[in-house]
Amino acid sequence: MTADSMPAANDPRRLLSELRALAHRVRLEQRMTWVALLVLAAVTFAAIPVDWFAMQVRCHPDGSCEFARQGMLYYWPPATLLAYGAIAFFYLRAARARGLGTRVLPYAITGAVTTVVFPAAWLAVHLYFQSHPYPDGPLPYWYFVLDRLVMPWGMIGVTLLLLAWLERSLALLLFTSGYLVLVLLVLPMSDGFGAPHFGIRAGMAVPQVIAGVVLLLGAAGFRAVQRRHR
Amino acid sequence: MTAVTGTHDEDAAHPANGLDEVVHQRVRLGILTITHEARRVEFGYLRTQLELTAGNLSKHLSVLEEAGLIEVEKGYEGRRGRTWITLTALGAKALADEIGRLKKLIARVEDR
Repeated sequence: MTADSMPAANDPRRLLSELRALAHRVRLEQRMTWVALLVLAAVTFAAIPVDWFAMQVRCHPDGSCEFARQGMLYYWPPATLLAYGAIAFFYLRAARARGLGTRVLPYAITGAVTTVVFPAAWLAVHLYFQSHPYPDGPLPYWYFVLDRLVMPWGMIGVTLLLLAWLERSLALLLFTSGYLVLVLLVLPMSDGFGAPHFGIRAGMAVPQVIAGVVLLLGAAGFRAVQRRHR
Repeated sequence: MTAVTGTHDEDAAHPANGLDEVVHQRVRLGILTITHEARRVEFGYLRTQLELTAGNLSKHLSVLEEAGLIEVEKGYEGRRGRTWITLTALGAKALADEIGRLKKLIARVEDR
């Protein structure tokens, strides 16, 4: 880039292209996607023992069992708040070290807001079924998808979508789409894998392990790409 | 500054007429673009990205600051002096207007 003003009619195109390149370079410098994924993987893994040990399981003589995942309700709201706070802190610190500001604050705020969605949805469903009979027939599929969406792993996907938009990152958008398909449509995040292969606790833990591993692999992948670019 | 020339009867509507003398300059547009994207940018980062000398960059920053398009904040981190530049609301508008005019200019050239 030189200090000249525009000398020719075809220059506006070149100038705009240069400006786009500059903006893109800034965005690349600001990206710390791997840190966000690593922190989210860490809170996902840390949730597993909490869920395991705090789960209340009551089995009846006919072989059916009831379970309550109270630990999740107490673990996730503070854990996600801490996680998004930590992500914002690392983003700001890294950007500052490079001589830049960053716009991760909307991401952190959205993360904090979505944190409230999980306990609010849990409470709403709990109150609803206290005064309404549980349906006899199988629940519709959309109910399970909605249930998984408002759970912490679904909310992580939603906030990652926002991060992809903030960073204008197609790679993160594709990764997050795959992650959301996994936690909303493939893995039984809310009711766990069932018998005969898994007990109730293990059946709940396995989908969480898979979600955590996916986030961790994503972190490693984005880290490798970032190192190659710099 | 010569931007894009046109015939007399076209001048009133020609997007080149609206080009801002302060903003319509490669380096200054670069400064505004980087600052807009970064929200806040350090002097050294701008100097490296725009491949300028400190003196040259300072001159451009002064022009933009006098026009109220940026704010310059000087401070220290430890013993090291650091200068941070932020875009003002006026600067953000000026950048958006200028890019809009450049796009119109391109469209006009393509229509011919």
